[in-house]
Amino acid sequence: MTKKKEVLLKIRDLKIQGYSDETWIDIIKGVDLTLHRGEVMGLIGESGAGKSTIGAACMGYARDGTRISEGSIEFDGMELTTASESERRALRGSRIAYVAQSAAASFNPAHKIIDQHTEAPLQYRLKKRLEAQEDAMDLYERLRLPNPQEIGFRYPHQVSGGQLQRAMTAMAMACRPDLIIFDEPTTALDVTTQIEVLAAIRDIVEQFNTAAIYITHDLAVVAQMADTIKVLLKGEEVEEASTKEMLDNPKEDYTKSLWAVRSFESPQRYRPKDGVPLISVRNVDAAYTGGEKVLDDVSFDIYEGMTVAVVGESGSGKSTTARVITGLLPPMKGEVLFKGKPFPASYRDRTKDQLRQCQMIYQMADTALNPKVRISEIIGRPAAFYSGLKGVALKNRVDELLDLIELEPSQYYNRYPPELSGGQKQRIGIARALAAEPTFIVCDEVTSALDQLVAEGILRLLDRLQNEMNLAYMFITHDLATVRSIADEVVVMQHGKVVEQGPKDEMFKPPHHPYTDLLLSSVPEMDPNWLTTLLEERGVDNVGDAASARIDPNDPKVTGANA
Amino acid sequence: MSVFVILYYTLLLGASCLAAYFNKRAAFLLLFSLTLVSFVLGIIGGVAALRIVAIAAGLLALSAMVAYAFREFLIVIASQNMAKELRTAPLTAAFGMFVIFTVAIAGIFAPFIAPFGEAQVISSAFAPADENMLLGADQLGRDMFSRLVYGARNTVALALMGTVLAFTLGALAGLLAATSGGWFDQVIARTSDVIMSIPSLIFALLMLSIFGGELANDTTSFYLLTGFAILTGLLVVSAVSERSVIGWLIGITVLVGVAVVFAGAMLIIFNPSEIILVLVVAVIYSPRVFRLTRAVAGNVVVMDYIEAAKLRGERTWYLIRREILPNSTAPLVAEFGLEFCFVFLLIAGLSFLGLGIQPPTADWGSMVRENATLISFGDITPLIPAAAIALLTVAVNFVVDWMLYRSSGLKV
Repeated sequence: MTKKKEVLLKIRDLKIQGYSDETWIDIIKGVDLTLHRGEVMGLIGESGAGKSTIGAACMGYARDGTRISEGSIEFDGMELTTASESERRALRGSRIAYVAQSAAASFNPAHKIIDQHTEAPLQYRLKKRLEAQEDAMDLYERLRLPNPQEIGFRYPHQVSGGQLQRAMTAMAMACRPDLIIFDEPTTALDVTTQIEVLAAIRDIVEQFNTAAIYITHDLAVVAQMADTIKVLLKGEEVEEASTKEMLDNPKEDYTKSLWAVRSFESPQRYRPKDGVPLISVRNVDAAYTGGEKVLDDVSFDIYEGMTVAVVGESGSGKSTTARVITGLLPPMKGEVLFKGKPFPASYRDRTKDQLRQCQMIYQMADTALNPKVRISEIIGRPAAFYSGLKGVALKNRVDELLDLIELEPSQYYNRYPPELSGGQKQRIGIARALAAEPTFIVCDEVTSALDQLVAEGILRLLDRLQNEMNLAYMFITHDLATVRSIADEVVVMQHGKVVEQGPKDEMFKPPHHPYTDLLLSSVPEMDPNWLTTLLEERGVDNVGDAASARIDPNDPKVTGANA
Repeated sequence: MSVFVILYYTLLLGASCLAAYFNKRAAFLLLFSLTLVSFVLGIIGGVAALRIVAIAAGLLALSAMVAYAFREFLIVIASQNMAKELRTAPLTAAFGMFVIFTVAIAGIFAPFIAPFGEAQVISSAFAPADENMLLGADQLGRDMFSRLVYGARNTVALALMGTVLAFTLGALAGLLAATSGGWFDQVIARTSDVIMSIPSLIFALLMLSIFGGELANDTTSFYLLTGFAILTGLLVVSAVSERSVIGWLIGITVLVGVAVVFAGAMLIIFNPSEIILVLVVAVIYSPRVFRLTRAVAGNVVVMDYIEAAKLRGERTWYLIRREILPNSTAPLVAEFGLEFCFVFLLIAGLSFLGLGIQPPTADWGSMVRENATLISFGDITPLIPAAAIALLTVAVNFVVDWMLYRSSGLKV
């Protein structure tokens, strides 16, 4: 792969300020960046590191409430910081394109995909409408979207998330820009879909020799995509090197710590020989009002003090199972047993003590904590509600809980959730669940919205708490790295059915159910050649949905595995 | 050329040159276009036209200065957190707050501020202004200024009471409908649709002609008030006691007591015809509040923290009070200001038609009507209460605008 070594984007000593508490605070503290034509640079760092802010600055854009205070951004010889708004706007869409994290939220639901696609070329008078549409279909085909001739004429909600993300990449390509900024394009997707999108993006960027900035917090992903990697921390550059060098030989401690994240693994626990399972799901069928069956004959057991990970792609019924256990969705058939006794189907019929036993930690800590209620009350309420604590006793209990989740009580007692970082919010969510003194906690994708370093901290915390309090977890996730680090037993779900279950050490050893196999092999690895190798093994058309559709229904593992 | 004209152009040109020199684009454009317009105006309208422009600009500058000073004053006396919010207020909002503050002071201390009594005849009809009467006399020879001050008290108090009642009923119903859903939601939503489908002024006229005549006595208004309070209270009781029978029994007993006390207290403050007016306003405006509250709360009830609270076993009342309400106050407060304006205008309009506040009680709407004949003689007296209505509604809207802006979450 030969690349013209012409500098396309040159950022020097960029400083960006954000407005908060009535003063301007530096959020980017002097970052340099040089990007050549056709080069792909990965920007990685935890949230708040300023990745997206830099991405936006590459287009000469500062979001509401931020301003570019110092430094220069030179795009193909043109200084963006001093250019007028109309000059900068003329670049966007035509020469610099942007692919956002959530395609579903970025497409206008009221227009067809192809109309949104052709908007930019028509606006810049590069192509006639029909030419632009033909070009769109060509791009859809290159991105391996099914039915390229037809898919553009659908509305955004009529195609799946992975397809929409690829359609958005196609849209960014519409004017053949020199630079595309990908802002976490696969973070919201599950592993099997992620591969499709990654492969498509990589190919098309290569075909048109487009330069790209790839923003992500997932190292394994960036290793597949980028030529060079830049690591950011709190608005400052940590180091920059070519992908291979960075993976083999990271220099700074911070980078090393990022690399070491995936090493945490809790020792495996085994079921007690005899004993009643704490929670037992028996032959549950469930459906939402008027909808199709979402769960089909789901059964599994969770023993005291153990972690059961429920894995599967989105739509496989993981969260629905959790809703059945917590009583939010009464099942159509089957029942949930708690210590061998049936649990009332609806949470409304459960006693206070039954409700107390089974707590939940949510995926999005932002929506799980009331933004207008102080931390002290969020944590204190369950304690007051179930145990009737008041006054000093309540305050002591809250302090104790904050200590438990490793947050300084005096500092956080009176704060509101929006003042906390993502990881801290998730800790508060954990504290709220613990305040009820439960025996069983449902963790619904608790780490998927967090960076790896923070997620690791949360996993370690959960593991420690489990050991101290003998808690049982039902751990819903689609991330197999998480499963590997915390689970004792694994339940694999697909299309509302349990396809395989067993202790973790057995699950990670072949032979697997073909679906488990697909999931396992789809997890990105730190090897920069992983994607290439995988695609060679499987063939480019055999990833994502296509691969799961190919699972042979007569495979012996499918028919008789669970018996 | 008079000295005034020379001074006028010198000032404008000098200011626009300065603005251009210091690169203040917006200020320069404004000043210089004003200069150009003034050339034409001066030719057509002569010195008088320029004088009007100068006076208007002076007034504008004066109100801007008042607004600025008032905002600084509020920042100084307010607490740390409030001061932080207040600093984001634009000058228009500060001006609005100043006007509301002035009207509130005038209303509360009316007997001390007004030089004459509300219904005191002190001179001949339509007497012009003199050192005794700031704004002249009305059609019966009562002091216009005193009546304006008393009018602030009557009109604003009624409008405020009406809005508060409409809000209590509408917001409670909306919150409850959003949390419980199902048939309860449907029944309330359809009822509100029915009320909203009747044009508000016609509905008000209809209700007032039913209850306005002989029925406007103490007994009827007492029963109506109690009924309204019980209806509102039932919503609270249903949220608090949920499915426990004892809860319902206790709740209803307490409720009836509270409703009777409330009705009695209202009867002491207002006379029967005013109470009927307030109730009519509350019934007409509560569906709008209901709709907004239901929509706002509908966005909140789907959040995970509501689910967490439900799973904890919390009651609906706790959900409404602690989880939903804090997250919907901003749009509701803004809506309160807006509804207050509508109610205020409706009451003024009804009074103008002779159905609202009854004479001799001073009220801005009826003051416009009583003095309306004067307009054909080119006197501005009837426009003064009209201007007061306009000023207060605009002021409230300024403040509401700011609150809406804040609640929309836009930055900088």
